[in-house]
Amino acid sequence: MNSLTHSLTDLSTVLVDLLFMPLIAFFVGLLMVLMMRKLSARLQRRIGPPFFQPIYDIVKLYSKSTQVSHGLIHEIGIVVAVGGYIASEILLPVPGMDGIADKGGIITLSYFLMIPSLGMALGVGQCANPNGSIGISRALTAMLAYDIPFIIVVFGVATHYQSTSLIGMIDYQQAHQWGIFEMPLLAAAGLFALQGMMGKQPFEIYVAPAEIATGPMVEMSGKFMGGLFVMQSFQFYTAGVLYTSLFLGGGNNWPEFLLKIFLVVSIPMTMAFLFPRYRTEDMVRVMWKWPVMVALIGIAFVM
Amino acid sequence: MNNLDQLFIVSLSGLAIVIIIGLFLPRQATWLAKLSPLLYVGQLLLLIKMASLVYIDAGSASEIQSSFHLHLLGEPLQWRFDALSWFFAIITVVAALFAALFMSGVWGEDYRKKTSANAYTMLHLGLLLNVNSMLLLLASGDFISLFIGWEFVSWASFFMMVLNPQKVARQAAMKYLMYAMTGAMALLAAMAYIYDISGSLQYDIVRLSMSHLSSEQIIPLVILFVVGFAIKMGVIPFHLWQAVAYAETPAPGAIFMGAISARMGLYAIIVVLFQLISMDNFAYIHIPYTFWNVQSVLAWIGALTTIIPTYIALKQNDARHLLAWHGVGQGGYMLLGLVIADNVGSAGGLLHVFNHATYQAALFMTVAAVMYRTGTSNFDKLGGLVSQMPLTFMVMVFSIIGLAGLPPMNGFVSKWMVYRSLLLDGQPLLFVAAVIGTLGTILSVYKLVHNTFLGQLRVEHQEIKEAPLTMLIPMLLLALIIFVTGVMPGLILDWIVPVQAAIGLPPLDYHLGGIILPTGGLDMIWLTLILFYGFAVGAVIFYLIGGRAKHVHQYDNYAGGHFLTAKVRYHYSHNFYAGLMHLIGGWYRGSFVRLEKAIVSLVSFLSQLAENFYRANQPTMLVVAVVVMAIWGIAVGRFG
Amino acid sequence: MNTLNNIPVQADNNKRTNPLATVFDEFIQFCQSRSLFMLHYCTGCGAIELPPAMTSRFDMERLGIQPMVTPRQADILLVTGYVSVKTLKRVILTYEQMQSPKYVIGICSCTVNGGMYWQSYATAKVLNEYLPVDVYIAGCMPRPEAVISGLRRLMANIEQGKGNAWQDYYQRYDYYLGNQQHLFGDDWQTPTDVIGEAKYYELEAEQTYGKHTDILAQHQQPLEAQTMQIKF
Repeated sequence: MNSLTHSLTDLSTVLVDLLFMPLIAFFVGLLMVLMMRKLSARLQRRIGPPFFQPIYDIVKLYSKSTQVSHGLIHEIGIVVAVGGYIASEILLPVPGMDGIADKGGIITLSYFLMIPSLGMALGVGQCANPNGSIGISRALTAMLAYDIPFIIVVFGVATHYQSTSLIGMIDYQQAHQWGIFEMPLLAAAGLFALQGMMGKQPFEIYVAPAEIATGPMVEMSGKFMGGLFVMQSFQFYTAGVLYTSLFLGGGNNWPEFLLKIFLVVSIPMTMAFLFPRYRTEDMVRVMWKWPVMVALIGIAFVM
Repeated sequence: MNNLDQLFIVSLSGLAIVIIIGLFLPRQATWLAKLSPLLYVGQLLLLIKMASLVYIDAGSASEIQSSFHLHLLGEPLQWRFDALSWFFAIITVVAALFAALFMSGVWGEDYRKKTSANAYTMLHLGLLLNVNSMLLLLASGDFISLFIGWEFVSWASFFMMVLNPQKVARQAAMKYLMYAMTGAMALLAAMAYIYDISGSLQYDIVRLSMSHLSSEQIIPLVILFVVGFAIKMGVIPFHLWQAVAYAETPAPGAIFMGAISARMGLYAIIVVLFQLISMDNFAYIHIPYTFWNVQSVLAWIGALTTIIPTYIALKQNDARHLLAWHGVGQGGYMLLGLVIADNVGSAGGLLHVFNHATYQAALFMTVAAVMYRTGTSNFDKLGGLVSQMPLTFMVMVFSIIGLAGLPPMNGFVSKWMVYRSLLLDGQPLLFVAAVIGTLGTILSVYKLVHNTFLGQLRVEHQEIKEAPLTMLIPMLLLALIIFVTGVMPGLILDWIVPVQAAIGLPPLDYHLGGIILPTGGLDMIWLTLILFYGFAVGAVIFYLIGGRAKHVHQYDNYAGGHFLTAKVRYHYSHNFYAGLMHLIGGWYRGSFVRLEKAIVSLVSFLSQLAENFYRANQPTMLVVAVVVMAIWGIAVGRFG
Repeated sequence: MNTLNNIPVQADNNKRTNPLATVFDEFIQFCQSRSLFMLHYCTGCGAIELPPAMTSRFDMERLGIQPMVTPRQADILLVTGYVSVKTLKRVILTYEQMQSPKYVIGICSCTVNGGMYWQSYATAKVLNEYLPVDVYIAGCMPRPEAVISGLRRLMANIEQGKGNAWQDYYQRYDYYLGNQQHLFGDDWQTPTDVIGEAKYYELEAEQTYGKHTDILAQHQQPLEAQTMQIKF
């Protein structure tokens, strides 16, 4: 009987997590989108959008009267892109909510995060637009570029904390010291990879609005585009939380945690508006050279 | 007469039936073709009866001995099944069953019309020969029977390859034969060496004598064995023969051989390196003058095998060749996982054998179905087929997710285990190498699915229909297996843990949904539930919020203000990863191809030299030869 | 010749009775007015006024307006200057590929009446004969202040539920198609199936069809989507 009530409370916790973790991720992500646009505006000496602009955009996109679908896979692509991120958020521990983070871990999470990209790639493929296909081919190449330093960082971090579970890593950091102080080189390489992972300049060749017409997004209208806007906010949130969990000791409480994740994503966002863009092969070259080198030296220190 | 005897009898009688009907009753050949899956069902049933080998309970034996014995040169020959053999055998028979199902329907009719009734019977015969010889190999209980099985497997594969009369296929088959012969020679030399050391070719005696070998003795032995077996597996640097040979084989052959044939090399490696010489020894045997030991060299061979063939696959422009190259590359994961030799990694490597068989067979089937409908597997001539062949597309998507190793399909679980053990073992570079292989696989499988099924539909393909049911049913079944074993890897881990015990490795701690580890395990049931929860929420957001979307024609598309028509093709598939190739294109130097060519010219030069010597001065050479032999004989007689 | 009176500015006549639904509609309209993605079709000299309007001097983003690249994503089609016959074909194609609610803004006098190209044989003079234009911003060229004021006018219209010119294109397609055919010849056809869309979204009216759509129907290449179906 005791175990039954125990498992019932477990179940109810998980249900609450299932509902709230993606919801929080969405709203925090919207704030991050706002922050990005505000940052870009301030760096360009503009005023920037009003506070609720991300919401206006999403409501507008979902309220379009007509929109184009190129077929079932196009639609499923958006569903998978959004759904994959919703599922990933539940694997990311935040203060007070662990979701099912103990069932996965960092390796699982890094592969989970590829599902939305794959879904979107399939959806874009069905649009029959070569701009989209070129965009996807560049995006996958970019993934090949930034995932190698990222995975080295993951390896180093997991070796250092002797755990692949994000919860275990956060516990370790809260008991000892933040990862960024114990592994500064890995943290630097991770930040570099994060820039590519978030698809921000100088690594946004796959969007390239002026040459391939925003690449994967070229045929996305109305709620299709709205789905991608939602996905973008999840993406920023995920990047921030992941980095915070790996290097900044997670969070004891929400204010501290939010401060950390906003700080983390503000760095790539600031960098983004100070640089032009690398070509695909140059991006691969840069990513395989500097962050990989730094990360490998960092690994030598933790091993 | 036990189950193993029955299994051999069933296989041999199947062979006899096919030969008799093919030779004497050609009219009945079509019936035979329709019923051929039954032959494999019979074998499968017998294997299921032997399942006590892996589902061990109190009274079950760890081995089933065949009652059939032979004596050769004073050595007894025996055949037996243990958990390891059973595991490989069930994959073999199921793969053959699926290939036979695929072949027995419309595909076979089409093949018969295009070639001849005889050729079709030969195809059935080839499949049966392959299965029988592989079962014979898997049942081998000593080195002589191993060698016999090995040769049968080689020749059966060759038989299957030459069924395609095209020049490129014949050339590939001849190349394979050269490689296989080299491997067989190496194997023979290794056996001679073993006989020299231990005085017997019985596994039990050899195992005993192996335990007190010096590293100077073990290293050449390992090299000879690994060369012999790795050639079959297509491991670096012997990877050149496999892809073309498998890709150009008629579809059922490609399905079967792509799924399992090359894994016979892995089986033999496991038998020798794990069962006879324990893997534990290798970590202590250092390669002279380097920092490496035998284990790490083997691991790096595995890692390079994942990378190099995968990136060769990325450059292929033909679906079958792309898949076949991946077949070579995925072998690297199996070797890598096994060589780490801890409980997680070795289970991952073994699980990958099963997983790879499922999705590789499914992928070859989808490509065969596309070829059946369109007549080509060339990426430049395909595209946009998803609206015409949606179920085939679905199977391909399931399988490529498996091949790329993304959740929730089965390939993810086995690759996860390999990564995890590399992490636990503290092997950063091997870990990165494995991930590089996976990333290359993701790139390459997207190219496969995009260039076949996505993008613009060609005008000439607008009336194409879905693949016929006889092809679809095996495909869909395989897709189901890929998904179910991905969500519940425990079903297959049930087989693998006894295999680990049989080859002397620590067993894995697992449950139905995944792996239990103290520092972060894996639970696929939860992960899949969460994933589908995410998809459900995504679908609710997409379909319930927002207006309707109209499906539009593919020419109603953004083209910078250009008016799209059927006259202008608006599709991107050629040189798909152009940006990446700008960087890494120069790294494809074809070094191995050049090495192969150099060896070929060296050998032909030497043989011509010898021939010319002999022909030019026949009597002189004869005298020289006799004198040398005489001196040697005297010397041995006097001082030996 | 048509006059500016042809610009259809009419109130939404299917007002809902449920007060909550009205609030909901108003919320949607508010959001739509505050988030406008524009596609600038820079045909002429007016384009030069857009960069200052977008960048730090005038900063359109504070109004929620930002540039977008493809017609699929855009809400506003900004035609910034004279439209030659050849260009007009692309403008129409682009307009039809945009997704409703969509708005057209004609910047510069050239789009209003041909401007300094009044006598040109190759220039389409009055843009709203071919497309429903929401707002004209006259001037040669209008300053960024004028552009922004025009955009604010559009925003006010949308907020009040008056930005419905796009419906006119479906409801009076025959009229627009007639003018297009007059200019481009009877074999004129765009890749977008406007009539099909009008049917699908229930936007058709009496004047959707007419003799011009009949002419189109005679030579039209079929534009039905490749449906995904399982046929053996």
